[in-house]
Amino acid sequence: MIRSHPGRTIALLFAPLAIFAAVPAQADGNVQCKSGPKENWKPIDKLKKQVWLEGWEIIKTQVEGDCYEVYARNGEGQVLEAFFHPVTLKKLVVFRRGQEIFRAKGF
Amino acid sequence: MVRGSGKRPLRGMRRRGRVKLAVSIALAVPGVLMLADWWQGRALAMDLLHPTGELSVRLMILAMLAGPLVELFGTAHPLGRVLRGWLTIRRNLGVAAFGYAALHLVFYAADMSVAAMLDELPIPAIWTGWLALALLAIPAAISFDAAVKALRRRWKQLQYLVYPAFIIALAHWLLLDWHWLGAALHLAPLALIWTLRLARRRSLSRT
Repeated sequence: MIRSHPGRTIALLFAPLAIFAAVPAQADGNVQCKSGPKENWKPIDKLKKQVWLEGWEIIKTQVEGDCYEVYARNGEGQVLEAFFHPVTLKKLVVFRRGQEIFRAKGF
Repeated sequence: MVRGSGKRPLRGMRRRGRVKLAVSIALAVPGVLMLADWWQGRALAMDLLHPTGELSVRLMILAMLAGPLVELFGTAHPLGRVLRGWLTIRRNLGVAAFGYAALHLVFYAADMSVAAMLDELPIPAIWTGWLALALLAIPAAISFDAAVKALRRRWKQLQYLVYPAFIIALAHWLLLDWHWLGAALHLAPLALIWTLRLARRRSLSRT
């Protein structure tokens, strides 16, 4: 198969990458919170209340770049990846398995 | 002389068998450690998703590089022995790649309920993972000598499924993380070797 039509086969192999054309790019890999110096950040533990108010169950919290990142499960059991501003603790953007499902106004 | 020539291939086969067994054990070690970490609560299932997926992709790359490298450079040079050895363990690498993909699924299932897994199945980043695993399962399931004999030419054709499995696995990775550099770096060695092989085959067909 590969021997007879190598060019066509390679093109066929790369075809799944066309999935990206059909799915809008949602780059959670480079979320920037512009949160300034760490001295002004609120403790990450304070996020727990914020997440509880969302009705989510925390799986994990961590610092990602200049943001607080939370992995949580919502009431429907969906796993979410949310970014919060470390100074205001405002919810900025939420992804579900790479798809953006929430973005704060003006962010 | 007669006695010696009869024993030599047998000794070589036994040696290859021992090497393959040692390689299989070595390849299983990271997986066993990850399972132990998760079982004893030292790591979250979620945190083991990326290492298992990445290891699976890397092993696929190693399995897929051996053939084209031998085709391009042959084995009649000082590094030929390395390439021959690499070819010998290619099947082990492929099976280990599937093993880590399956472990990736185990950690995913441990992190989710069945209802939640079904709920997120239509998400592109998720169904691409399932598809890559299904495609990889076929060559892995026939990676034993009896299957090679039974399937003959069809065996090799089925092994080629590792190529779409690899590309779809990269798509799965990208759709989840959107970190282009990591996926591109993993694709680069194969893209280079495939391009070189294509160029060589074209030049050979012209002559």
